Amino acid sequence: MPDEKREEALRKELDQVLAAGDTEKGTQIARQALESGLTPTEFFVGIIQPLLYDVGKRFERLEIFLPDLMKAAKVIQTMQREVLEPAILAESGEGSELGTVVIGTCQGDIHDIGKNMVALMLQVNGFRVIDLGTDVSPQNFIDAARKEEADIIGMSSLLTPSMPYMGDLIKRLEGLGLREQYKVIVGGAPVTEAYAERIGADAYGADAVHAVQMCRQLIGLEG
Amino acid sequence: MRNAVRLVDVLDRMEAGPIIEEEDFDMRLVPETMAELQAKYDISIPPDAPFVPDDDALADRLFEAGLEMAEAIGVLCTDTGRRMLWTRSEILDAIGIAPDHLTVGAFPDAHTEYKRLPEDTRRITIKGGPVGTPSPEHLYVAIQQSYAQEPLVDLMIDGSLETVYGREGRSHSPWEVLLSWHEMEMVLTAVQRAGRPGLGIGCTENSVSEIGELTVTAADRLGPHHWHHVAMISEFKTNYALMTKVAHIHKTGSILHSFYNTIYGGTAGGREGMAIAIVGGCILMQMAYMTTTHSVSPTHPFYGNTTSPDILRAIAPAQQALSRNTHLLNDVVITPVGGPGTKTLLYEVAAQSLLAVSSGAAALIGPRSAAGTEPGHVSGLEARFMAEVAHAAAGMSRAEANRLVAEMVARYKADLDQRPVGKRFDEVYDVVRVQPTEEWLGIYEEVKSELRELGLNLDSAAAHDCVGRSTTV
Repeated sequence: MPDEKREEALRKELDQVLAAGDTEKGTQIARQALESGLTPTEFFVGIIQPLLYDVGKRFERLEIFLPDLMKAAKVIQTMQREVLEPAILAESGEGSELGTVVIGTCQGDIHDIGKNMVALMLQVNGFRVIDLGTDVSPQNFIDAARKEEADIIGMSSLLTPSMPYMGDLIKRLEGLGLREQYKVIVGGAPVTEAYAERIGADAYGADAVHAVQMCRQLIGLEG
Repeated sequence: MRNAVRLVDVLDRMEAGPIIEEEDFDMRLVPETMAELQAKYDISIPPDAPFVPDDDALADRLFEAGLEMAEAIGVLCTDTGRRMLWTRSEILDAIGIAPDHLTVGAFPDAHTEYKRLPEDTRRITIKGGPVGTPSPEHLYVAIQQSYAQEPLVDLMIDGSLETVYGREGRSHSPWEVLLSWHEMEMVLTAVQRAGRPGLGIGCTENSVSEIGELTVTAADRLGPHHWHHVAMISEFKTNYALMTKVAHIHKTGSILHSFYNTIYGGTAGGREGMAIAIVGGCILMQMAYMTTTHSVSPTHPFYGNTTSPDILRAIAPAQQALSRNTHLLNDVVITPVGGPGTKTLLYEVAAQSLLAVSSGAAALIGPRSAAGTEPGHVSGLEARFMAEVAHAAAGMSRAEANRLVAEMVARYKADLDQRPVGKRFDEVYDVVRVQPTEEWLGIYEEVKSELRELGLNLDSAAAHDCVGRSTTV
């Protein structure tokens, strides 16, 4: 079978596996693909990324929902952990993840569905995500970012009175001399691009799909 | 039923229920239960389903699915990591003795909210207000007055404050105390200025944590005759802060209104999952919070509204399920994407009002214009419009309501992703006279004319609220 047709068949098969959340089958397909001669990068860029883009678009159109996204994320994470990471490490000593994002809902706010959607979308798009949950203080964000060697700190807020903690975190990073080490992205229903700019954030994510585009840009990739 | 024994029993279950990891609850228990019940009860709401179905069998199956969901999932307290669970028999007992009417407010402005059935001729209660939308401090009194002075507004609900004494407010801090006091002082001023000192007030909208509620809910402050709010976190979660509010509201003998905003496309899933979640969520709020009224506001994950076609298709059958099978006082919150000064806002409000009235909701809350996120993009005129449409729809058949809702949706559907937030209050109202501008009034009259042309009798006695009003003296 010519390469193009073989890749198309592989994508179709994996698409069904992602929809079913079948981690075992996903891992098996990834192993077979590498054994048949694809490099981990070729497999990720040529097969996984177009599928993830498609999954993201379907979620954006609400043709699929959070549970479907969760299933796809689980398959991709298992595949990365059990097949791609070891193969890439064996080849070059480097991991396959795009970057690490420490994410959470700001202090004083316990809403988490929007933040969970962003976390999942980041995971299915190849980011390593450390989810700190809800009601997270600025210092806890910073402690986690240091510990996990994060590239990006993502803060969500659904309530106006918890938004000031976003600006607090940025000032705290400046005060500690850490501002240059981390990119900061903010989002949530009452948060606007103008607000993000006013508090000195590096990016604003209007929704889960847009947040992924912005995080890609923050680490120097195309959105 | 609310009493001290029941309160202690709920708190006991919070401390002793089965332990579960929050991730397991969110990512496995909720979605799996929803999918299972959707199949078991054959719940199907296709994308081209009517907005207001006339299918009692579907409504009754939805009720059974929601009841079983409430029993199977319960409410997770995230502080104790335990699920509060109740048996089917305990649930049926509790909802069987819940009140079917409730008087809110004080003389001479007290109002009684009644349980309604689908196609009921009884007038629906109008709870007008910006529902937590942040407002600039200097406009807050005028904004609230613009709702309080509307004669068709039976009860009012507060907005929140963008700042306090010009400073950014912060939740769970001393600032929350000041925010809540500010709300109380200004909203009481607003009802006085409107000449309705006893108007029942939905509060405390600045109490993000328990601090605000503890501060201002007291006999000599925002008293027990107002309706005090407690949220259930989506999906089916609570915590110590929220349960602290419940205990305080209960012990002060205040009216407790709870709300729950299931997320479209979230762990509950799509149209069918949302509909089951609305039914089960209302039952669970009754169980965990011993609530007297509750509202649902299923929310779009990207627009933050309740008026998207798929969401409307979930609200109507769920409301019918609750109305046909319980006498719970269930309210519907209207959250349009459109803001003041836009026709979009009025089309959205008309659609959801018609749908909720014909499906048996006890009250309408809002509108929370511009999705409640644009500071000050709210005004009392849209609450007047909501009431006029709602009263004109009293007794309307579900089939007729569906026809009108479809007409309205066709007029605003394309605008949803444009987010026409309209204008701020001081651009659509004279803030000194507290009256709408000619421009905003003109738009309102144009949309009313369109509704008349479609056959809605906005000039009937019912639409003017000349019949069916109950006053407690």
